[in-house]
Amino acid sequence: MQKLLNSILRNGTLLLFILLFGISFRLTTKNQSYQKSSFLAFNNSISAPFLDARHRFFSYLKRQSHNDQLIAENQYLLTQVITKNNKAFLLDSIPFEVIPAQIIRNSIHLNHNYLTLNMGENSGVKKEMGVITATGIVGVVNNTNAYTSGVISLLNKSLRVNAKLKKSNHFGSLYWDGNEPNSVILSDVPLAAKVVVGDTIVTGGMSAIFPAEIPLGVVSDAAVPVNDNYYTLRVSLFQDMTNLNQVYVVKYTSAEIIKDMINENE
Amino acid sequence: MNRLPKLIIWFLTLLFIQAFVLDPMLLGVPFVPFIYVLLLILLPNDWAPWVVLLTGFFIGLSIDFIYVSGGVHTTACIIISYARPLFIRAVYSDTISPQNLKIEQESFGELFRYAVFVILVHHFFVFVFVLGSTERIGWLLSAWFTNSLITILASAFVLVLTRGTRR
Repeated sequence: MQKLLNSILRNGTLLLFILLFGISFRLTTKNQSYQKSSFLAFNNSISAPFLDARHRFFSYLKRQSHNDQLIAENQYLLTQVITKNNKAFLLDSIPFEVIPAQIIRNSIHLNHNYLTLNMGENSGVKKEMGVITATGIVGVVNNTNAYTSGVISLLNKSLRVNAKLKKSNHFGSLYWDGNEPNSVILSDVPLAAKVVVGDTIVTGGMSAIFPAEIPLGVVSDAAVPVNDNYYTLRVSLFQDMTNLNQVYVVKYTSAEIIKDMINENE
Repeated sequence: MNRLPKLIIWFLTLLFIQAFVLDPMLLGVPFVPFIYVLLLILLPNDWAPWVVLLTGFFIGLSIDFIYVSGGVHTTACIIISYARPLFIRAVYSDTISPQNLKIEQESFGELFRYAVFVILVHHFFVFVFVLGSTERIGWLLSAWFTNSLITILASAFVLVLTRGTRR
C-alpha cells in the first residue's frame, strides 16, 4: 500500500496528465457524434447570455451588410411568390410556417459543425425542425432550451439530406464530405438522370424536416464511381455557409401526421 | 504588481479578444490567430507541474466552450502544458539555473523562439484533433502552416506591444 502511494505521488503529474488528457479526448470524440451531444446542449444553455451579447455587438457593427442580405433575400422571395402566382412558397399542399431566427454561433472548420440560434422553445422551435434561408438549407435543430437552439450544420459529416435534380426529379442523398464549406456531395443519383454540369439541385421534400423545392446549388462536377450505377455529384451551394446571419426555422403545423405517414409507408 | 493578478488580467484580456474579435465566423475568414496560446507561453516557470496542467486544461476548456469545438483546444493545451519543460529546456539551455528563469523577462529573441516552438506544436495537435482521421493530410498541413503563421505574427505583435507591461 505504501509502495502504491509512493508510486502515485512520484508519478502524480503523469497521472494527472493522463486523467486530463482522457477527459479532453472524450470531449473531442463526443463532439463528433450529434446523437450524443448532451455536452453541446449544456454548453448552449450556459453560454447563451454571452453569445447573445456578442451577437448584438457584432450585429451592430455589421448592420449594413445584414440589411443588404435581407434586402437580397426579400427580393428573391418576392420573385418566387410572384412566379408561383400567389401559391404558397415552396410547398403547395402541406401547410408550414417559418420562425425567423438569427445565428449567434457557427463553426465551419470541424468535421462535425454546429450552430446556435437565438430562438428556443419559447418561440416554438423544437428538435428535428429544419433551418433554411432563401437560398438553401442550413441544418437541423438538434437540441433546444427556452431561449436558444443547437443546430446540426449542413457542414456536419453526420447529416444527410434528401435532395433531387430539379429538372428530372431524380433523388439522391446530400451530405458534406468535410472539404470545402461551399460545396457538398449528392450521391445515389441514378444514371438515367443524364446529369450535366450546371443542373440545379433542390430539396426532395421526402421528410417532415425540409419542404420540397428549396434551391440548394448547382452541379459543378459529375462522376460515376467504378462499378457503380449511380452518379456522385459535387454541388456548389447557393448559400454561403461561412456568412450566415438571418435564418428561418421550418415548422410544419402537421409534422406529427407527416412523420406517422412516413413511418407507416416504411 | 503581483504576478497572479497580472496573469488573470492577461487571461481575461486574451480570452475577450479571442471570443469577441478573433472569431472566424464574425470576421468571415477561414483562420484566425489563436493568441490565447500566449497564456500557456507566459505561465511562470516556477509553478508546480500539476498547477500548469490544470491551468492549461482550464484555458483550453474556455476556448472550446467559445468555439463549440468539443475538446480540441483542451487536448492541445494539455499536451503543451505537459511538454512545457521540454520547450523551455530546448530554448533556454544556456540559462544556468532554469528554476529561476523568468520567461517574460528574457530577451525578445529567445521568447519569440520559445513562442514559435509552442505555437507550432499546439496548432499541430489542434488540427490533428479537428480532422480526427487520416484523410485530408494536405488540408491538415496547409491549415497547420497557415494558422501557425498568423498566430506567430499576431503573438509577436502582442509581445512587442506589451513588452514593458510584462516585466
